[in-house]
This record gives sequence, structure tokens and C-alpha cells, in this order.
Amino acid sequence: MKRRTFVKNVSFSSITIPFMFNNLKWEAVQNKLFDYSRSAEDRVLILIRLNGGNDGLNTLIPLDQYDNLMIQRPNVLIPQGFIIPITDTNGLHPSMTGVASMFNDGKVSVIQNVGYPEQNRSHFRSLDIWSYGSTNQEISTGWMGRYLDSVYPGYPENYPNEENPDPFAISMGYEVSTTCQGVMSNFSHTVPNPHDDINVGNGTALNDGTYYGSHMEYLSTIIAQTNAYGTRVKQAADQGNSTSSLYDMNNPLSVHMSYIAKMISGGLKTKIYVVNINGFDTHAEQVDSSDTTVGNHAKLLKTLSDAVKSFQDDIKLQGLEHRVVGMTFSEFGRQIASNASFGTDHGDAAPLFLFGTCISSQIIGPNPVISDQIQNQAGLNMQIDFRDVYASVIKDWFGVDENAVQSLFDYPVNFYTVLQGCSAGINEEIKKKSLAAIVYPNPCVNTAHLKFSCLNEKVQIILNDSYGKTIKELFSKELKAGVHHVELETKSLSEGTYFVIINKKSKNEEIKIIKRNH
Amino acid sequence: METKEKIVLPINLSMNPYTGPWTFSEAGHLLRRCLFGPSFSQVSLAVSNGLDSTVNSLLSTPSFSDPITFSSNESVAPFGTSWVNSVYPSSGTAQTNTQNARNESLAAWTMNRIHHQSFSIHEKMCLFWHNHFANEATSDARATFDYFRLIQTFALGNFKQFAKEMTINPCMLVFLNGTLNNKYSPNENFSRELLELFTIGKGPQIGEGDYTNYTEHDIAQGAKILTGWVVQDFLSTSVSNTSSVFMPELHDTTDKTLSTKFGNASIPNANENEYSNYIDVVFEQLETAKFICRKIYRWLVNYELTDIVESTVIAEMADTLFSNNYEILPVLDQLLKSEHFYDISVRGSIIKNPIEFIYSVFNSTLSDFNYDLETNSTIYLQCYWLNMALGMNYLAPPSVGGWTAYYQEPTFSKLWANSSYIKLRFDFVSYVTLWGGINVNGNQFQVNHLTFLNQLSNPSDATQIIEDMALLFCPKGLDETKKIVLKTLLLNGLPDFEWTLQYNEYLADPNNPTFSDPIKQRIALVLDQLFKQPEFQTI
Repeated sequence: MKRRTFVKNVSFSSITIPFMFNNLKWEAVQNKLFDYSRSAEDRVLILIRLNGGNDGLNTLIPLDQYDNLMIQRPNVLIPQGFIIPITDTNGLHPSMTGVASMFNDGKVSVIQNVGYPEQNRSHFRSLDIWSYGSTNQEISTGWMGRYLDSVYPGYPENYPNEENPDPFAISMGYEVSTTCQGVMSNFSHTVPNPHDDINVGNGTALNDGTYYGSHMEYLSTIIAQTNAYGTRVKQAADQGNSTSSLYDMNNPLSVHMSYIAKMISGGLKTKIYVVNINGFDTHAEQVDSSDTTVGNHAKLLKTLSDAVKSFQDDIKLQGLEHRVVGMTFSEFGRQIASNASFGTDHGDAAPLFLFGTCISSQIIGPNPVISDQIQNQAGLNMQIDFRDVYASVIKDWFGVDENAVQSLFDYPVNFYTVLQGCSAGINEEIKKKSLAAIVYPNPCVNTAHLKFSCLNEKVQIILNDSYGKTIKELFSKELKAGVHHVELETKSLSEGTYFVIINKKSKNEEIKIIKRNH
Repeated sequence: METKEKIVLPINLSMNPYTGPWTFSEAGHLLRRCLFGPSFSQVSLAVSNGLDSTVNSLLSTPSFSDPITFSSNESVAPFGTSWVNSVYPSSGTAQTNTQNARNESLAAWTMNRIHHQSFSIHEKMCLFWHNHFANEATSDARATFDYFRLIQTFALGNFKQFAKEMTINPCMLVFLNGTLNNKYSPNENFSRELLELFTIGKGPQIGEGDYTNYTEHDIAQGAKILTGWVVQDFLSTSVSNTSSVFMPELHDTTDKTLSTKFGNASIPNANENEYSNYIDVVFEQLETAKFICRKIYRWLVNYELTDIVESTVIAEMADTLFSNNYEILPVLDQLLKSEHFYDISVRGSIIKNPIEFIYSVFNSTLSDFNYDLETNSTIYLQCYWLNMALGMNYLAPPSVGGWTAYYQEPTFSKLWANSSYIKLRFDFVSYVTLWGGINVNGNQFQVNHLTFLNQLSNPSDATQIIEDMALLFCPKGLDETKKIVLKTLLLNGLPDFEWTLQYNEYLADPNNPTFSDPIKQRIALVLDQLFKQPEFQTI
């Protein structure tokens, strides 16, 4: 097992562990070009929320870490022979046959170790962070809500209208999705069954400028939208088709996915659909005590995998495949070590799944490194920030330019080519921009992230104190051209100001960082 | 990156006793917040009794009744009796059926309690605590009942003692895996929620594993402190109650030290008393008082906690709670009598939750039914399912955090009224006002239009009927246009005196459908319209 090298003051994670977005796998994605000239206008994104915190290590299993996983989680780990291998070093949970076959068809990618720095292990806070696309306590709009606000400012006033008769987002079931919370209103229209007849009368009331008034305005809008959007949704669903024979209508997620297929096929212009599965908070009885391949988690993953598979089959049969991609998210992964209750407690990073026809199946990011020692409460280290994934999806799938995407996030986003095969074709050359080096968060506490670009050249990184005295050489190595991201452990630095110096032929750079203890 | 909708108003933040006008408006506000659907006569009585006397009555704890067996699926407790101390049958099917029967009995019991609430805030606070110590029904209905009885007992009691009892409550031990937490393998689930959701609350994350008020270290220490508790006699065929029991051999006997957040308090091993010592330390923090006061404020006053409310109202409430050693009553007394509570800016500031919605239809109209026990209970059960469909099932909050409308920013209570729920709410209104109501084997439960009408201040006067309805059902009344529309609906286009004639004819011969049916029909049409207005959705 490869151990992190800890140096005196600053430990620097080995350059092989941090994710680089110009590594081989990315090049493979970039080389596969698809000719989808359609505009981004009719594109649909499906978000699948795995509510409760999915155990990533039992979902996508790093086969090269199996021996140490057996030390960490013997009572929940899937026996090696039952894991469905999808690459040499990764395998899926045995109940995910559908996703495995999609992976083999080039329709599923998995991004490993997605999370954010300083994981919050509260379900509620972390779900907000994932829904808002921000770790800032002050933010309470969703990442999709901000995107929709930027395209349709002023919503919900004067919506729906002739140009935009359909809901911009639909949340299947009875609850709106926080991901679609805009500044003034939530963009998601709730749909338990799109075939329902809708007529809720015409109640309206004026806003008198108080809390009460804001409710009057809200309720008047909801009543009007319920009628208008409800009619459109029903029309589309009644006209649309759902054709796959693979759907199991006892699987509630499959039912929702087939409704979505109908609405898309019936011509609804909705851009975002959100579906939800509950039950991933598997503190106990995640697996059967007598057989780890079955149990609650196995059922959940089967529900997910079967629904996604049948939906993909459906839209393929209807020739709609190129218009839809989907993505899973969950508030956190679970701890590496299992507990004695055949379950796992709240952890940190986890894999995120993307599906669609323009995705060249990839396992993105390196396998996590599992220790042979049980460390109390340890989760997986975050390697890829979820906000980078969100930003990249908005850019590639909805064809939004990078600056506009960046303005949706209060964090310097990295654009990865997660959906580049589906790139909306806004004539933007995907180029390796020369990026000014940044450190974030800054001020930092326990860890900081350094992002810089270089050509094919030798790069030296040193850390100086505020007087210019070198504390440590962090790194010196030949690197390939591209953008590189490294994590700095700053926990043991004393409080104060420091400078990260990047020496390279193309451009020397210096960044001031401030270290705080909390 | 974004701008937030902020409501800035001059607002009275004083917690001094309110001495302003005491009219139907103020009394209605108090009663809508404290009861599930006050009636016109209740509000009128509150007006004549005055503020202090009304609040004093509202703060009384009523006597409790047990859930009753009403289903033949129950095979131990006799029909019509309480099953809460009855053993379970041994056979698999009989056991499952009995458990189902008891769960249904519990569900009916909760709705019956709310439907027949006494003049007390008690039921409103029971739901508050169910949302706070959120927990779902366990495999043994007796344990589930004990959890609800604990809530009834402490709803207006001592919060600290309540938290202690809840920590070792069998239902809670099962729900948050406390029974799986032992020295060989700590399970953090309960320890985390105890701090994050039940007592001191989570502050902003200000460092790795540091949530301002506690740290991940405290969660790990707390898990150790709480080791050793298991439950016994679930589904027992010989013991009449479930219970929790401390197993010393499963308890982590090392000494535990909390973080600086708790002054590095040391919690020496104290076996079965250790959890209590730990909770004492948590309750020594003023933040614990603030946390529950914020939740009470959101429940009874307004969802938005501005900085200024935090530094005035919440601070004063927390001081009251803290200095009264966590007794809840003094805080409620102070709040419900305060100037801030009656400030116009917080009137109508909450969208009704489903139970408030349904029972503001039934209770405010004095609608009731009285069939045999099985039919009555089945109707309650239907009301329970109805609330579940609208997003609020008593016995099963969506998560340990309670219902999202009480914590999800920025929407809060707006979450109760999205397009799906609005449709269901309005369908319900049509059913119970116009279409015959809930129907169990031909026995109906619907709005009792005539009983409602007869309690109003002057039922023979069409204008006054609409005025009374607007005052009773709408926190800020209705605008003139809406009143005219409703009155036109009531009169069916005829002049006012026609209503007076019709009503007096009905009064002279109340059991004659020739006279009562037209009156009933007109009231039904008006209520159907009124209950679908935005104004009615708020309290």
C-alpha cells in the first residue's frame, strides 16, 4: 500500500494521487468526438438523489484495494467472486447488472472520490451543500436554480408565457428539489403522476410587503402555475410514449423514470428532472448478516440500476437518447471501516455516476487508497470537488461559457471534460488555457488546494514564510502540459502568512496564503 | 452571486407583556397558533376572557387517554380496551396482524386527540416535540406508544429531563441504533443526532470536524458515553411492556473527555448514570437553550430568524429557559404574552402544515361525527392517511431532522404548498365541503355547515357571516372584493333580506330539509371557495 509522505511542516500528497485532468483517461475522452450538432435547447438533465449518504465503497469497489477493504469492513464487503468487474481495478456491486451493461455499452462514467474539503457529516447540512453547490453558510439557492435564474431572470413573475410554456424543472413526487431553488422561487414543479387532471381554481391575493404578503404572492403564483404547468405536463405525458419492456413497475424509481420518458417524448421542454431514492443511511443492516451480497443496500442499488437501465433502453428505442444525460448525487459517502451492526456510518467522498449515450465509459480519477490499519471515523479523501463536476456539466451539457458558469459558483471551478463527448457545440475550442495559479480555500485551515498550469516542463514548488525564508521544497518534477491540482496539508503550520512559489520555465508564480487555526 | 429576498419592516421586538388592543384579530392569532383550528365561539370567549386568562388556560396540560383496540386483527387486547400493556401473540401471522392493528390504533389515536383537543397548546407542542425528537414507529407498538406518552408527559415540562428520558427511550434507542452502540463497536448515529438535532444544535463548520458548538471528537466521545443500553421484551409474549436496560459489560468504561467546546469537561465512567451526567454538561451551555428557543420560535411565531430577532427575542427566551432550569412553561408564557408575538409583521407568517390545514377545516367548523368505535377509528385513520398524502404523517417524520418545512431555507413552510400538495389540499376541500366527505361504509365525516353557521355572531345577516368567516379563517381578513364575491355566492344573486328570511324559516323548523338544505348548500359553496384562497392557507 502506498502511504502518504508526511514532511516536517507540510505534508504534500504525492503527485500520483491528486487528480490531473490531462491524464490518459481524459485524453481518451477528448479524442472521442461525437457529432451532435443540435443546440443545447432541447437537452435534458436528470438528477438522481441517493438520499441518506450512499456507501460508495460497496457500490464501485476498488479491486486493487480488496485485501485492505477486507481488514476495514469484513462484515459488509462483497465477496470478490460476486463483484462485477468493469475494469481491471474496479467492479460494481452485484445488483448493478444494468449499470454494468451500460458501462460496457459506453454509456456510464463514474467519477471517483467526489466531495468537498472539510466534509460536513450532518445529513442536513451536507445535503444542502450538495444541493446549493456551495459550502458557504450564506447561500441558500440551488446550483440549478442559479443557472435557471441566470437564463430566466425574474422567474416566477410572468411565467409561464408563450415562449416558455413548460416548467423549467420537474421534481418527481410531492417535494420540490432544493437544487432548483432560485432567488425568488423554486424552479421545480412537482409531479407525482403527469397524467393527473389539474384544476385548482383561481385564488389570488396581493403581497402587502410582510411575511404574510410574501406567502400570498407565492400561493397565488403556485395556484396559477399548477393550472398552467399541470395542463402542459398532462398533454405531453398523454401524447408521449414509454416503450421499454424492461421497466419493473413495482420499482418506484422506474415508474418515475418512465414518466420522464413520456414527458420528453411528448414534447415537454423541461430541462431538468429530479428524482429521489430514500434509504441510503445504512448505519445498520446495510447487508444481510449471513450474506453481504443481499440486504438493504443491495435492494437500493438494484432499484437504481434497473431504473436507469430501463430508462436508457426506453429513450434509445424512441430515438431520444442523444437528448438526455443523468447524474447521481448523495450527501456523502460512508466511513471506510464498517460498524458491528453490518452497516457503515457517515463518511466523506464517494463516487458519482453519469449516464447517457454521448459518454465514453470511464472511471475518472484514481482508486482511493485504503489503509491496512483501521483509523477511527476515517472516510475517503476527496479528490474531485463536486462543484467542478456541476460546473463542467453546465458548461458541456447546456453549452454555457466558462465565465458565465463560474459566476454561478463562489468557488474557483475547474472544468473537466466529463461530458465533452456531448459538448453542445458552441464553437468553443477546448483549450488548455494558461491558468493563473490559485490556492483555495484561502485563508486555509487544515488543507489547501493548489491549482496551476504548466507546459511540458520541470516544476518546482516551494513554501516560504512571510520573510521569504524557504520552509520546505514541496515538489520538484517534470510534468506534462496541462492543469494540475495538488492538495497541501497545512494542519501543522502555525498561524500566519506564507508564500507558495512555483518555479517553472514558462512563468514563475507566487501566491500568498494565510493559515488560520480555525 | 445572488441577492436574497429580505423583508425589512419596523418590528416590535419587545418581550414585555402586550397591552395593546385585544380584539377578535389578536385572540384569533393566538388561538390559530396554539390550537389546531379554533372555532368562532372559542375566539369570542378568548376575547371576553382577556389575554392573560386565555394564555393561562392554553398552558394547562390535559389528561391523557390511551389508544383503543378497534380492529379484529388485534388478538390479545379485547375490543374497545387499551392494548398498551398487552403482550403480543406468538404466532407469526397473529403477531403481524396485532402489530398492524396497534399501529393503526396509534394513528387513529393521534388524529382523535387533535380532533378533540382541549383548550390547550398541549397538542400543538406534542407535534412540535415529535418533530424535534423525530422518530418513527418501531416494530413494537407499545414502545412507539411509550415514546408518544413521553412526549405528552414532557410537552410542557422540563426540556433537560425530557432529553434524558428520550436518550434511553426504547423507541429512540432502536431508531438511532443506540442498541447497537457498544464498547466493541461504537455506532455514532445517536451520539451525532443528540448534539446536532436534539440539544445544542450544529453551528457553522469552522474547521475540520468543528461545528462551532461541538466537534467530531465530541461525537466519538458521546458514542462511548452512550454505550451499553439495549432494549428488551420487544414483541414479548409474556412481558407486558418493552423497556431499556443497561448492560455494564457492553459499556465503555474508559474516562471520556469532551472538547474545548464543553470546557474539556471530563465525563468519568458512571455506567448507567453516565448519559445523564453528559447531558447535564451539554445543558450547561446557554447555546442549548438558544437552540430549542429558535425552534419554538419557528413553530409558533415566524420561520425567519433575523440577526435582530436572534439578539433580542431569542436571547430573552433563552435566558428565561436557562434561568428556569429548562422548564418550558415560563418561556411559552413569556412568548405568548409578549408584544412581539402580536406584532402585525408576524401575523399570518406561517403556511399551515397539513394537520393544521385539515383541522382548521374540521375543528373551526365544529365538525364531528359519532358512529361505532370501529367506524370512528376508521375515519380517524382516513384522516391520518390524508395527512400523509399531504406530506405529514404523524408517527413517521421523513427523517430524524423532522419535517423539512421546519428547517429548509429559504422556503420553510412554503414547502407545504407546492403544486402537488395544493392540488391535494383543494381536492380535500371539495370533498369535505361539497361532495359528502370521508366515507366509511356509508358513514360520512364532512364539514358540518349548519353547526358552523349557527355559532357565528349573527347567522341571519349575510354580510356579517362573511365578516365572521374572514376574521376566523384569515389572519389578516379578506379584501372587500373577495368579501363581495363570497357574499354573492352565499346569496346566489338575491338581495340580503332573502337570506334573512330563509335563515329564519330554517330556525323555525330546523329539521325540515326544505329549509335547511338550501342554507347548507350556500354555506358549502362559500366554504369551498374560501378554503381554496391563499389567505386561508396561513396561520
